[in-house]
Parts: sequence; structure tokens; C-alpha cells
Amino acid sequence: MKTSHILASGLTLAFALAAASAFAQEVPKTINVTQQQLTGAGGQAANWLHTNGSYAQTRYYPGKAINTENVGKLKVAYVFQTEVVESMETAPIVVNGVMYLTTSFNHVYAIDAATGKQFWHYKHKMGPVTTFCCGPNNRGVAISGGKVFMATLDAKLLALDAKTGKLAWETQIADPEKGYSETMAPTVIDNKVLIGTNGGEYGVRGFVKAFNAGDGKLLWTFYTIPEKGHEGVWAVNDATGRNMKRDIAAEKAALAKDSSFYQTLGGGVWMNPSVDLKARTVWFVVGNPSPDLYGAERPGDNLYTNSLVAIDLDKGTYKCHSQYIAHDVWDLDAVSPPVLVDVKDKAGKMVQGVIHGGKTGHVYVHARKDCSLIRFSQAMIPQENMWVLPTAEGARMLPGANGGVEWSPLAYDAGSRLAIALNLHQPMTYHVEAAKYPGGSKLWLGGAFKAIASEKQWGRVSAVNIDTGKVAWKLDTAQPLIGGGLATAGGLYFFGEGNGSFNALDSKTGKKLWSFQCGAGANAMPVSYTAGKKQYIAMGCGGNTQLDFKRGNSVFVFALGG
Amino acid sequence: MRLPLSAAAAAVFCAATFAAQAQSVDAGRRKAEACVACHGPGGISADPAFPILAGQTARYTYLQLKDFKEGRRTEPLMEPFLAALSREDMFDLAAFFAAQKPRPNAFKADPARVARGKAKADEVLCTMCHLGGFLGQNEIPRVAGQHYAYVVKQMRDFKTGKRTNDAGNMASVAKTLSERDIEDLAHFLSSLY
Repeated sequence: MKTSHILASGLTLAFALAAASAFAQEVPKTINVTQQQLTGAGGQAANWLHTNGSYAQTRYYPGKAINTENVGKLKVAYVFQTEVVESMETAPIVVNGVMYLTTSFNHVYAIDAATGKQFWHYKHKMGPVTTFCCGPNNRGVAISGGKVFMATLDAKLLALDAKTGKLAWETQIADPEKGYSETMAPTVIDNKVLIGTNGGEYGVRGFVKAFNAGDGKLLWTFYTIPEKGHEGVWAVNDATGRNMKRDIAAEKAALAKDSSFYQTLGGGVWMNPSVDLKARTVWFVVGNPSPDLYGAERPGDNLYTNSLVAIDLDKGTYKCHSQYIAHDVWDLDAVSPPVLVDVKDKAGKMVQGVIHGGKTGHVYVHARKDCSLIRFSQAMIPQENMWVLPTAEGARMLPGANGGVEWSPLAYDAGSRLAIALNLHQPMTYHVEAAKYPGGSKLWLGGAFKAIASEKQWGRVSAVNIDTGKVAWKLDTAQPLIGGGLATAGGLYFFGEGNGSFNALDSKTGKKLWSFQCGAGANAMPVSYTAGKKQYIAMGCGGNTQLDFKRGNSVFVFALGG
Repeated sequence: MRLPLSAAAAAVFCAATFAAQAQSVDAGRRKAEACVACHGPGGISADPAFPILAGQTARYTYLQLKDFKEGRRTEPLMEPFLAALSREDMFDLAAFFAAQKPRPNAFKADPARVARGKAKADEVLCTMCHLGGFLGQNEIPRVAGQHYAYVVKQMRDFKTGKRTNDAGNMASVAKTLSERDIEDLAHFLSSLY
């Protein structure tokens, strides 16, 4: 009875698969993305080849067919509906008129970028154990050669044939039983697939790994937590010079007793690294220490958590770092991907720089040569009580634990030299609770954050002059902001809101020029490309788990006149 | 391993995996017969002192069974059932209950208290972990439609330190809740489906 039932189930499924493959189509052209194309991605308007537009991650699109003069005529060209109604954070990748987009729970779709017609749909077969915080998100694929690459909630890295959607190889990045998971898009360079990890809420030991794009073989691992030296320099102040109220003597005494906690010290890497190809250097920011709010278990600066880090592209070895908050007990960590741009140094000389939008509400500007901090911007949102220590009853401090700038990538407007950031204002109280490492299977915050019901939450778009650190303009929104922004040579800045509004601003002034209601949270990352000589803007509108914005399943694609 | 899988091989592989899952649910169904007296048929308990297990995330059920067995969570009524449970048994039971469809809770929730509970839930940011609709994810339990009495008891136990297998997260939250907050939240959660 049981055997026949299983056999019947198997046959039904085999039939269903056969039927499904009959409807699935191949992409009707050859896809082969060269390293030259990937390297030059930021300087062309045909394709969108990286999550954040280029290895420099400026999210700046050099096309200007859609511009401040005509953006009012932007209309929906098509809507692509996925079968997954859940949080959407994808940045579609577009090459040669074909779009690759992902959804929560690791579905990938290949569609015609001009019409929305579906070619193929790949659904990852999730393993029995997944451990992840903040929603079953996925932020997209990377592309190189004839393959697209996706990392999964069960901590695998997959390579799919870009033409057929068939699995070429898969490899296990880390153990999901220990709290590792993947939501970020990989970055591919020189036949290496670079990937970080989630898990700072579960006591992982964070890393960036490089895999061979051809066969999935591990090339190197850089652990974001060094086995020795993670106590750092016992920093008293944060990067902006404010005292963090640490009890250094007590921390030193605790470290003398036990320094074995590096294996569970957290330090996830949530977003794509930038790559300086000439310098053969990879730049990324590292997230919070574990547990988030309870610091007594982890004395020291907890390097390299809450830091900008540079490593060697070929060997994965350390080059330099700059820590924003040592021994963080607020989860005001570093998540938004770093951006490579030239900046004025303190003497006014142009130097190679790297910038990061922090959950603290500052844009940090560093020198690429040694990671040193050149300046930090004015606070983009209200800051209060920094750095009051969390208590059992709850201590009020601004910004709240989501920031500032969450994972939301900056966009850099090359014309005006403005870094444009999406901010949250969520007044919160910070609570601490002593808690031992629970084994990797359970969320390990060591406390809690609570919103303050009587205080209003809102969002703010802030444009920061990277040479002065001054806020050039700002625009407040009704809800906290999370998602990506896009700056274009047409003088526009595109971003979405949790209430479904997808907007275009004048990137020099912040004036709203166009808006469209998507019907679900516009919290993914907008991209732009050209297909059939027409410029398109694409934006995923599927809401957001972390802020509980209305879920949907659609990617809206816009063009002039529709 | 590096050879591309043919479509046929892929189909067989999927079918095998599917069969393994079906077997797990089926095995769980048989093993769950011992649970019916308290947790009800299909994991829908009639007595609100016992949690509804239908639709619970498999990861949460598995980890709770493991915690009961290894002493991190205590409940005298569960004890007689735990000694003989293997890891596979716990996986099967978890898979079975996850596959059962929950029903709306019959508890007559007070609309005013539901509204207050919703406001409190927004303030406490419950859905950052429990997901929108309180459907749960992985090791974070589904609490939508859970029994009022059970929810109240668990929140009190977290608050007083009687239940401690939460890695401190729920304890930290529950310590900031008044008795009225806990009851309001339980009204709200029991009203969800």
C-alpha cells in the first residue's frame, strides 16, 4: 500500500516535471558575459550586469533617454508576476535583452526584458534545515560567461545555465544547522564567485569566500573574525569620536578568562563587496557581533565586526580595516554595500575613496590606500542618547536598531557628487538579557529592541556631498525606507516606499518629479537598461518582511509612453 | 558529480526526495497517534492548555521536542513520551504536524483587546521574527490562531524565567509586558488565521 502510494507519487511528479519542461523555454539567444563586459559595466547603458551596477557599486546608470524633462511621461511597459508572494529585495540583472530576477525562497526567472515574456523558472529545492533572520529574502543573481549564480537560504551556492535554467553545479557554502544562510547576490570576477554570509543573529563566524565559477570549488576563505587579535585596540570612542561607555577593565578581565568565543562572534557580510580590479582588492563591510545586545560574553573590540574591510582578491588575505563601532551592543552595524569613488581628502586633494552608509545615520568616507576615515557626514537622521547602554527595562536611543541606513545600497550621482541614502527613523528602546550561546539553531540576540509606540516612525532620503560631508538636500517620507536607490545620467534618482509608491526625484534638488503606486511595498532595488533602443526602469514590489510592508509578487517595468 | 544531470535523472532525484518527505509525514502520522489525547487529531487540540501543533514550523517542533528530551524545556505531561523518541522520530513528528492544516481558533476574542494586542505587537516588533501574519519561520514558531490560555501561560513563563529555552529573546520581550499586555496579545494572536 505504502510502496504503491510512493511509486504513484513519484510517477505523478515525474509526469508533472516532464509537463513543466515542455512549457519551459530556453532563452532564444546565446548568453555569454565576458570579464571585459563585467569590468566596463558602469560605463555602458545597454545592460545592468551587477547588483549595484558595477564593481564600484555606484548604482549610477549612464543612460539619459529618461530624464528630468520627460520622466513625467514614464508609464508601465509591463508587469511580471512571480508565483511567490513574499518580501522582494531583488536587483534584476539584464543582459542582451534578457532579465534574470529572483524572489524569496530562491526562485529564479529568466524573462524577455522588453516584453516580460517568461523563458524559464528555476525553483531551488530547499534542504530540510534553514536558519535565517529577517525574512526568506533573496537579493538577486550574478552573471558571468553563460551562467547565473545564486546563493540560497540553506547556504548553498548554485550555478545555473543562463540559457536553459538548468543546474550546472551546486556547493555547500556553510552549515545551516549552525545559523548560516544566504540572501545576498554573489559577485563574480576573474572566474571567482565571491559570497559573504548571514548569521550574525545566530552566533556564526562570518566570512567572505571565493569559489571557482567553473566548478564551484572553494578557492579561499577570509574569516571576518580573526582567531587571534579580535580584541583590537580597546577603542573608547566610536569612529565619530563619541564615548561608547565601555567598561574596559571588566572586558580585559573577562578576556583573560576566556577568548575562545571567536567561533561564535558573528560578523556576517550581508551585501556585495566592491572590487578594485587594478589594486586586486575586495572591499566589504562586516555586520554585528553575536549576540547582538549582550556584550559580556564577548569582551574586546570584536574585530572585524562593524567595520569596513579590504582583502586581497587573489588570496583572500587581510589588507586593512576601519571599525565604526567597537564592541557594538546596539546592532547599529555596517550593512549597506561600500561604494568606490574618488573623494577629496582632508587637504582637498582628490584621492581614491570608498564610502559606506551606516546604520548610525552617517555616510563614512575613507581613503582606499589604508582604509583610514577621511570624514563622516552630518547625521542624516535624528541621533539621541548615543551611546546609552541597553538595560533590562529598555534604554531609549536614536537611531533605532534598523538604522539609519539598513542594507539599502547608496546611489552615487556622478554629476552632482552626491551620495544618496535611504534612511529609517524608528525610535526604539534597547533591552539586554544575559544569554549563553544556544547552539546555532536559535536566534541569539541577548535582548530585544522595541519600537516606542507614542513616537512616529518615518523615512528620509538624504543626499550627502562626499567632499564636505554636508547634507545637500533631504526628502521625508511617511514610512521608514528600506530598499535600493538608482541615480541616472538623466538627473534622476529612483527609490520606493513601503506604501507601494515608486518615485523619481531630481537628483540635484530632491524635488519629486514622478510617482507610481505599485500596490505592494516597493522595497527591492531598482535598475535600468536598454532593450530595443528603449530605456527601461525595473523595480520589484513585493513588500518587506523586516518592516512588515505589504507583500506582493510583481516586478514593474517602466518606459517612456509605456 | 560534475556531470550535468539529465532531465530524467533530475526527475528521479526529485521523485526520490518527494517520496522521502511523504514517508516522513506518513511515519509522523503513525507516531503522532500517541499525541492525539492532548494535542487532538491532526494536531488541533480542543483543550486550550495544550498547544495547537497543526501548521507549526517543522524546525520549531523538532527543536522543542529536542529541548524537552534534553531538559532545556520542562513539562511533566510530556515526559512519558520523550524517552523513547529518536532523532528520526522527532523529525517525522515535526514534518507531520507542519503538514497539517490549522483551523480558525474558536476562542471568542474581544475586539477591543485584539486591537490593543495588535498595537502592542507592532510596538514590540514581533513580526521581525514571527513574520507578518505570525506564521513563523524556521525555529521561530507560528503563533497565529494559537490557544489563548496557552499563549498567556508561555508569555508568563518567559517573563518569570520558568521557561528558558528561548536564548533570552522572549524573556527580554516578556519582561517589558504587563499582565494586561500579555492578555491583549493572546486575544490578538488567537484571532489570527
